[in-house]
Amino acid sequence: MVEFAGFIMPVQYEGIISEHNAVRSNAGIFDISHMGEFLLEGKDVFPFLQYVMINDLNLLEPTKGQYSCMCNENGTVVDDLVYYEENSEKFRMIVNASNRQKDLDWLNNHIGKSDVKVTNLSNERSRIAFQGPNTDELLQPLVNVKLAEINRFYFRHCKLKDIPIFIARTGYTGEKGFEISMENQYVNDVWRILMDLGATPAGLGARDSLRLEACYSLYGHEINNKITPVEAGLFWLVKPKEGVDYIGKEVLMDQKEHGTDRIIVGLNLVERGIIRDNCKISKDGEEIGYVTSGGYSPTLQKTIGLGLIDIQYSKIDTQIEIEIRNRLLKGLVVPTPFFRNI
Amino acid sequence: MEYELRDDLKYTSTHEWVKIEETLTTIGISDYAQHQLGDIVFVELPDTGLVLEKGSNAAEIESVKAVGDLIMPLSGEIVEVNQNLIDSPEIINTSPYGEGWIIKVKISHTDELNDLLSYNDYKILIESEEK
Repeated sequence: MVEFAGFIMPVQYEGIISEHNAVRSNAGIFDISHMGEFLLEGKDVFPFLQYVMINDLNLLEPTKGQYSCMCNENGTVVDDLVYYEENSEKFRMIVNASNRQKDLDWLNNHIGKSDVKVTNLSNERSRIAFQGPNTDELLQPLVNVKLAEINRFYFRHCKLKDIPIFIARTGYTGEKGFEISMENQYVNDVWRILMDLGATPAGLGARDSLRLEACYSLYGHEINNKITPVEAGLFWLVKPKEGVDYIGKEVLMDQKEHGTDRIIVGLNLVERGIIRDNCKISKDGEEIGYVTSGGYSPTLQKTIGLGLIDIQYSKIDTQIEIEIRNRLLKGLVVPTPFFRNI
Repeated sequence: MEYELRDDLKYTSTHEWVKIEETLTTIGISDYAQHQLGDIVFVELPDTGLVLEKGSNAAEIESVKAVGDLIMPLSGEIVEVNQNLIDSPEIINTSPYGEGWIIKVKISHTDELNDLLSYNDYKILIESEEK
């Protein structure tokens, strides 16, 4: 067990590799109740979100969610998050645990005179991610909606047995699956029901190894308040939104058009070893960047990593060196993602 | 949690075990240590012939989540390393006291043996770390 953003969280239940493999081969459940959940309501919610988010809310419709970032004026990331359109005046937002308070402050500080009310539901609701190739099949008999009709990033309010849940087809593993939100009083029952379906409890360790294989950004690693979404390879989130001003737009649109000095790339080692966070990356003795996330891929059974490096060395197959505890190991820039099943 | 302990071995406070035999001394990490590390995925072994002082790093043991060092419990020359760990590092998890041994050493100062922990001392140590 470790302390994570004020929560006591399990790194693993049985073992990271077996939990990881259960998600890739069948189904796993993650307690993600540490994440923040906000409800934004009011007549001006849509224009407000258009102003604080970099993605374009015109792509949404009721019952659909969207991945996006809130950025600073200089384009660096305040947080990455998902919000769901309940209706044009009501959005549900799920944010990173470590940024809950910062995000609340950021949102409230930008409301001004707009008609927007932010309610923090984080502590009265709980969240579970149910992920893996068999999740549809396992869950369908117990819910009163047709799961096949919920497309990726769409959601429903429905019942699991007789328990009211919010269920979205989203995830952070590179597998099919769902993220479920419910009132606290139901979470133990939902966890038990999903375990009884054969889902394997998975901890923070497997959550990280799965998302690293799938190359999903982790706040504090690939993105933070010193890295922009374009540098992190999330340039597709940066939308022109004609006629709409949004925070960070000028810098981000310029970066999207003209490129950046550095960018996140995939990394492998040619020599034996395990890439770890914060290892220095160099080319012919000159430092060119650092590892933002590194580890072992249980699916590929080798080390993988992501690194932020000078753009001139970002071409696939570029030979680089990674310094791992005072040893300089030969590595390569490789294509991403390492593994996704969706 | 129950960890396997062998009463025919000596131990260190950094969780190595030592099996003292007439010519060579075999060294590995304890069942407690492999549990703390979790799934072991890589071991960086020393070269044979290397002479290392007690307390120096002899090998690096990497799990999915962490890196652990094998610290020399005794000064001596590395005579043999467990080559099976190169392709199957997970045998440290499955058999920490058997197939998962790490190095064999020719010790240079027999008086250092007195600094090792007995089975009982080590048992008390890991019980206190668990609290």
